[in-house]
Amino acid sequence: MVRTLRTNLRGHGFQVETAETASEAKASYDRRPPDLVVLDINLPDGDGFEIVRHIRERSGTPIIVLSARGGERDKVSALDLGADDYMTKPFGIDELLARIRVALRHLARPATGAERRIRTGELVVDLERREVTVAGRQVHLTPTEYDLLKVFLTNPNKVLTDRMLLQQVWGPDYGDESHYLHVYVARLRRKIETDPQAPKHLLTEPGVGYRLRSEDL
Amino acid sequence: MRRFVPSLAALVAVAVTTLLIQLAVGRTPVANLSMLYLVAVLVVAVAYGRTAAIAASILAFLTFDWFFVPPTHQLVVADPEEVFSLALFLITAVVTGTLAARERARANEARRGEFEATLLYEAAFRIATEPDLDRALSAVAEHFRAALDLDALGIEVDPESLARPVIAARDDTSREALRSTGTELRLMEPHGTSRSVRIVGPRAITGDRARRVRVVPISVSGNRVGRLQVLPRPDVADLGPSDERMLAIAGAQLGLAIERARLRKGAVDAEVLRRADELKTELLHAVSHELRTPLASILASAGSLRQRDVAWTERERDEFASAIQDEALRLDRVVGNLLDLSRIENGNLVPHKAWHDVGALVEDVAGKMRPITAGHTVRLDVPEDLPPVELDYVEIQQVLSNLVENAAKFSPRGTEIGIRVAQDDGSMRFEVSDHGPGIPAAEADRIFAPFVRLQRAGQATRGVGLGLAIAKRFVEAHAGTIWVDRRAIDGARVVFTLPVQPSGG
Repeated sequence: MVRTLRTNLRGHGFQVETAETASEAKASYDRRPPDLVVLDINLPDGDGFEIVRHIRERSGTPIIVLSARGGERDKVSALDLGADDYMTKPFGIDELLARIRVALRHLARPATGAERRIRTGELVVDLERREVTVAGRQVHLTPTEYDLLKVFLTNPNKVLTDRMLLQQVWGPDYGDESHYLHVYVARLRRKIETDPQAPKHLLTEPGVGYRLRSEDL
Repeated sequence: MRRFVPSLAALVAVAVTTLLIQLAVGRTPVANLSMLYLVAVLVVAVAYGRTAAIAASILAFLTFDWFFVPPTHQLVVADPEEVFSLALFLITAVVTGTLAARERARANEARRGEFEATLLYEAAFRIATEPDLDRALSAVAEHFRAALDLDALGIEVDPESLARPVIAARDDTSREALRSTGTELRLMEPHGTSRSVRIVGPRAITGDRARRVRVVPISVSGNRVGRLQVLPRPDVADLGPSDERMLAIAGAQLGLAIERARLRKGAVDAEVLRRADELKTELLHAVSHELRTPLASILASAGSLRQRDVAWTERERDEFASAIQDEALRLDRVVGNLLDLSRIENGNLVPHKAWHDVGALVEDVAGKMRPITAGHTVRLDVPEDLPPVELDYVEIQQVLSNLVENAAKFSPRGTEIGIRVAQDDGSMRFEVSDHGPGIPAAEADRIFAPFVRLQRAGQATRGVGLGLAIAKRFVEAHAGTIWVDRRAIDGARVVFTLPVQPSGG
C-alpha cells in the first residue's frame, strides 16, 4: 500500500516521505514536518493514535486517517484526537487525492476568523449580524442552531465527531448526548438545505459524525 | 433392655447405699445417714437422668424407712418427728435429683448442639470450598455418615446435576446394600407425593436380614431436587430424633449446594457462549482485515493505473502492476489458508504423496516468498546429498511458506531468516528460524491452535492465526511432528520432521 501511494502521489507532483512503523513516522515528522499526513491507523508496531497525538501536540498539520471498515470506533478516536479526515479501506485512489487536495487548500487559505461574511454555495452567513440567508432568502435560526452552523462553517470539509460538536456547542460537560445533536442537525438541514432528505451542505458520516461540504471554503 | 437401665441403676445405687449404712450403723447418729441416700440420688440423677433420680428418691425413702426408722422392717413410723424428717427427705431427694438431672440434660443438649453445629459447619465449609459438586457431595456424605455412625449414606440428585448417586459407606457390603435399594427406590418412587421428612423406604438386603432404609428428601424452596438414603447400623433399632433432625438439615444444606452448582453451571454455560461469540467476532474482524488490506492495495494500484491526469512512466506502471500481483498473491494465500483449514476441519485430508527432491522444494518456497522476505536476508542451509522424500508437494510447500511468512512478519527488517534441512535417523528435519522477539515457552504449544495469535505489548496483532494451525495439520497428516524449539535463544525456531522410508522399495 505504501509503495502504491508513494508512486501515485509522486506522480501527482507531491513530495512524499514514507514510514512503515510508528517510531519511524514520528522521527520522520520531527525531522521535517510535512504539509499533510496520510496515516494508516493499524500500524505493525502499535499505536497509530500515538502518532496523531504526537503531531497534534506540535502542530495543526492535516491528518487523513486510513482504517479498515468496521473500525468506526478507531476512526472516532482518531478524529477526537485531532485527525481531520478519514478513508475506509479499500478506497478509490481518486477519492483520496480529492480529500488530500481539499485539506491542502484549506491549509493554504486558513479561516482567519476576521471575516464578516461566510459564503458557501447559496448559503451566506453574516457573522456580525448573525444573519443567515439561503439563496437570498433570510432564514431564522435559534441560538443553538446558529452556534452549530458556525462550528461547521469554521471547520469546512472536516469530519467533526458527535463528541466534538456537542462539546463545542453545548459545552465541555457534554459528549454522549448524540441524540441532541441529531435533532438539531435535522432542524438545521430543514432550514438551510434545499432538499433536507438529500443534504448538500451537512453530510452525515455514518457512525462517526458530520461534515460540512464546501467547494468555496 | 435399655429402657430398664435407669431403674436398675436406681435400685443398685440404693442397695449399695443401704449396705454402706448397715455397716456404719452404731457409729453415727441415724438421722444424718439419710444424707448418704441423697448422694446416691444425685449420682443416679447425673448419670441417668430425671426418671432414674425420682425412682431412686422413692426407693431410698422406702428403704430408709424400712431399715432404719423405728420400728424397723415396717413401713410404719412411730415418732411423728420422724414422719416429718422422712417427708422432708423425700422432698429434698426428689427436688435435688430433678435439678441435677435437668443440669445433666442441659449439659447433654449443649454438647449435642455443639456437635451438630460443628458437623453442619464442616459440611457447609466443604460444600462452599469444593467447586466440583460430585466431590463436594462425596465429602459431605462421608462426613455425615461418620458423624452419625451410619452404615451407609447415599445422595441422589436429578441426573442433570449429578450423573450417578454418591454413596458413602462403612464397607462394601453396606454400599451394595444401599445401592441395591437405590435402584428399587427409583423404580417405585411416587411422583412428588412424599410430604413428610421421614419416609420408610424399602428394605436393604444384607446377608439374610432385611434392613430398613430411611429416605430424607433434599429440597430447595419447596422443590424436591433429590434425596438422602440412610442405612443405620443393624444394631440400632431406629434413628434418634436429633439424628433425624440433623439429616433433615443436611438435606436442606445439600439442596442449597445443588442449587448453587446448578446456577454456577448456568453461569459457566452463558460465559462459554459469550466467549464463543467474542471469538467469532474477533475472527471475522481478523479475516476481514486480512482480506481487505491486500484488496485496498490492489484497488489503489488499479485506480492509479487508470488515472488519466498523470502520464505514468514505464517504471511506475510496472510498480503498480507488481503491487497488484503481490497483493493478489497474498490474498490468495489467505483464502487458501482459510480453505485448507475448513478442509482439514472437515476431515478430508489425504496427502497426495510423491517422491520429491527436498532441496528443490526449499528453493521453490524461498523464491515464491521473495516479495514477503524482501526486507530480510534469507539463508538456505540444505545439504547436497539429501535423499528424495515422499510427500505432498503442495502441502509441505504450504507448511514451509507459512513458517517463512511468520518469520518475516514477526522479525525486524534487515535481520536474517534461516531455512535449514538435515537428515536425522529415519526422518527429515526442517527448521525455520528468525531473529525476532521469539515465542514465549508458555505459548509454545498454544500457538498451533487455530486463530491463536500472540499478543505483544504495544503491538497490533496481525494475521488470522491460521498459518501454524494449518502447518501442524499438514505435518501430522504426513505422520510427522512440528514444534517450537525452546532452545532457540535470539528469536523463534520452528522445527518439523517428516518420516523417511527407503525409496523405491
